[in-house]
Amino acid sequence: MIDLRNLALDVPDGRLLLDGLDLVVPRGGKHLVTGPSGSGKSRLLKVIAGIERPARGTVRVDGRAVWPGDGALALLGQVRMGFAFASGGLLSNLSLRENVTLPLRFQGLEDGQLRARTDEALDHMGLHAVATLRPHAVSAAARKHANLARVLALDPDLILLDDPLEGLDAADRDTALDVIRRWALDSDKTVLLAQEEPGSFVEWASGHLDLRSHFIPLETP
Amino acid sequence: MVFLARLGAPVRGFLEFLGDQAHLVLRTLRHALLLRMDQLVVVAGQTKLQVRFTGLDALWLISGTALLLGAVTLIQAFSQLSGLGAENYIGALMVLIILRELGPLLTAVLVIGRSSTAIAAELGAMQLNGEVDALATHGVNPYQYLLLPRWLGVLVSVFALMVFFDAVALGGGFLVAKLKYGVTFGFFMDSVRQTLSNRDFVATLLKVILFSGAITFHACHFGLRIRRSQTEIPQAVTKTVVSALVAVFALDGVIAALFYF
Repeated sequence: MIDLRNLALDVPDGRLLLDGLDLVVPRGGKHLVTGPSGSGKSRLLKVIAGIERPARGTVRVDGRAVWPGDGALALLGQVRMGFAFASGGLLSNLSLRENVTLPLRFQGLEDGQLRARTDEALDHMGLHAVATLRPHAVSAAARKHANLARVLALDPDLILLDDPLEGLDAADRDTALDVIRRWALDSDKTVLLAQEEPGSFVEWASGHLDLRSHFIPLETP
Repeated sequence: MVFLARLGAPVRGFLEFLGDQAHLVLRTLRHALLLRMDQLVVVAGQTKLQVRFTGLDALWLISGTALLLGAVTLIQAFSQLSGLGAENYIGALMVLIILRELGPLLTAVLVIGRSSTAIAAELGAMQLNGEVDALATHGVNPYQYLLLPRWLGVLVSVFALMVFFDAVALGGGFLVAKLKYGVTFGFFMDSVRQTLSNRDFVATLLKVILFSGAITFHACHFGLRIRRSQTEIPQAVTKTVVSALVAVFALDGVIAALFYF
């Protein structure tokens, strides 16, 4: 599903991250990406999703060239992908419900099916009470859950999760873990999860990329 | 060599900018052709919002500006041409000054001031917040959801506002002509009709298409280039205004030269 060859990411200070990274995640694979803050976990997910350009190397998703290429545009309508961002990522002029609904509308789902899937995802993430509010009017945890609800409703083949538990309290964490576990048990879903420490995710991960070995810390003057 | 490099850098920058603009336009057109019927509903909804903001919400501003411009043009003309049979030139004056030039230009300037600034700021904020990325990663084509509705919305609005501007400006001119010379509505409109030609309609239509494209894609270009911080938003807005104004005036000059020179 994911095929990275000789990948390198550049950062504004001129360093190269993940220099020469090769990674293959088969369809249905569950991969864990860990590493300290600034090691390039989030950027790696964004490069795979086609929304950031790597400094070097090739990225293919489901056999389609993402880089070099058109990035995320190459995957539009070809690969169903869901990305739960660590922060932001929700359209600020839409309510949480509309945020969940929009990708489904673009998929061409009928109204009834669209409503059912949106309601189910919002219910599952405990967002029904705040579904009509816009992202700025809800808590950071609700925004995080809305990101997961959008992925849940979309039912994608490729799921990219960037620090999905960061900043959540115990109850919210359980809700998020429940959804992630569901995806982990689904053999059709390819999951790539980035987090600082492996935590309980090692139990279901079929592969683990630790960016510590690729990480060059900033030199202090 | 240094001198040549200094001379070449802005030229290269300008050519790159033109290339980016062409790229945005062609991509938007290409993705517009790929729209499915069910996606069309979403795009239509977004277009309606843009028409409301750019067109409907600007009606009072356009009305006031057009009415005053029409009236002032004839007041100034009469003050200079009194005794020379100014009433015979009413139609020619209104067509030459308002319908051909100031109507389309002032409409474009007002749309740049109200809407291209808003589009640039909105897209810039969306970029910073990761919203454009989120669209693309969830199967929502940003060209179809963001750029196309804005372009269509501005196109429809600029067309409607130009027609409205011209009509209200003619109304303002007629008020002055009636009060000053007691000109009848029939005489006034006949005078305008005699000067107006099919060439004017074609030129105005061309201005609508080119101005709306320049306004939208300058705003999208500068808005979507924002990547790092909030402080880039006002810079992008300023660049959009300056760049779109220059483009609109340049296009107006080219059209005037093509049609009337």
